[in-house]
Amino acid sequence: MDRRDILAERPLESGRGFMPGVSVNPSRVLFTAGLTGRGPDGNLVAGGMGPQARRAFERLQGVLSRADARFDNVIKQLVYVTDLDAYNASGRAERAKFFGARPASTGLVVRRLADPAMLIEVELVVDLGGSPGGKPLLEKYNAENHGGDFHQGVIVNGGRLLYLAGQVANNPDGSVAGVGDWRRQAEKVYENIGHVLRAAGATSASVVKETTWVLSIDSWGQHRGPVRRDFYKGDFPASTLVEIPGLARPEFLVEIEVIAAIV
Amino acid sequence: MPFSTIATPEAKPVANYKMATRMEGGRLLYVSGQVAWDATGNIVGKGDVRAQARQVFENLRGVLRAAGGDLASLMKITTYITKLEDFPAVAQARGEVFQGELPASTLIVVKSLFHPDFLIEVEGVAAV
Repeated sequence: MDRRDILAERPLESGRGFMPGVSVNPSRVLFTAGLTGRGPDGNLVAGGMGPQARRAFERLQGVLSRADARFDNVIKQLVYVTDLDAYNASGRAERAKFFGARPASTGLVVRRLADPAMLIEVELVVDLGGSPGGKPLLEKYNAENHGGDFHQGVIVNGGRLLYLAGQVANNPDGSVAGVGDWRRQAEKVYENIGHVLRAAGATSASVVKETTWVLSIDSWGQHRGPVRRDFYKGDFPASTLVEIPGLARPEFLVEIEVIAAIV
Repeated sequence: MPFSTIATPEAKPVANYKMATRMEGGRLLYVSGQVAWDATGNIVGKGDVRAQARQVFENLRGVLRAAGGDLASLMKITTYITKLEDFPAVAQARGEVFQGELPASTLIVVKSLFHPDFLIEVEGVAAV
């Protein structure tokens, strides 16, 4: 491992549990899906933020273990909460129990997560170190049986990482496709993702991580299924789904960010 | 720069940013979401998104430089704001900072950031 914690000149973040930046030699990197406080039965654990946060980190620990990694190997965390006061009161302390080393971090208060009662979702980027050896470029796996159209962890063994701008339902002439039409926007966004992946020498199977930002999880849930299945053909990435109040233009209903890896 | 820029006529950006970037070498740097606090931890530009944006990009630059890079090392940024009305001011501040094409970029309006006074947060991924 040759992780470097970047402190900048001003150690503002000291005592806050995270670093301003973390750099690694990206030989092997794990991307996790956003995980939440769902129990083994698929239902949210009872008791609110504290138990949900603890459960989310326990499940992430399971995903890390499958890759022989620990929380000390995490280089980036993204914490989505729907209630900041609850997180400060009882979520933050749960997080601290799991982390030794401090990752780079972003925390956001969002409007809704997959379940309206969900208070927290956490996703991680993890430095696995070592050499890819003869391993396949991507190892997509689940640590639990969840039945969803995503993988809980995707390991990138070498190759080149590809970062896409957030993709929206715009046409090449700048107009918006499918104004007010969720199904059309879903199709257009994945069409655009496909174009950009192809231009970079990648395919839908190259996608490692997907973050989907929508104005309504209920509406998205009614339309995304066939479009995503057609695009990924069963080879799903790690993913996170978040409801937020707005995107760059009022017409946009959905924006999807993709990270891919290619040889 | 240890990354290349991907463009295609079939899918174009809606503003002046790169559609995708592909890492070709160097070290992978994740930068925490930067907010508008100064060296002493005080919020700069309370209620003033333009002032906050300038401070955020100054802080972002500081982290990148400490890692051996600069703003030009950024492959991807994500800008989180709390009000869509603030976007024009943020876009203008970003234009001044980047002096040309932005990295691959995502803009999201969130319910709030981790302090009620923060109006903008920007995180980045870089190759340094």
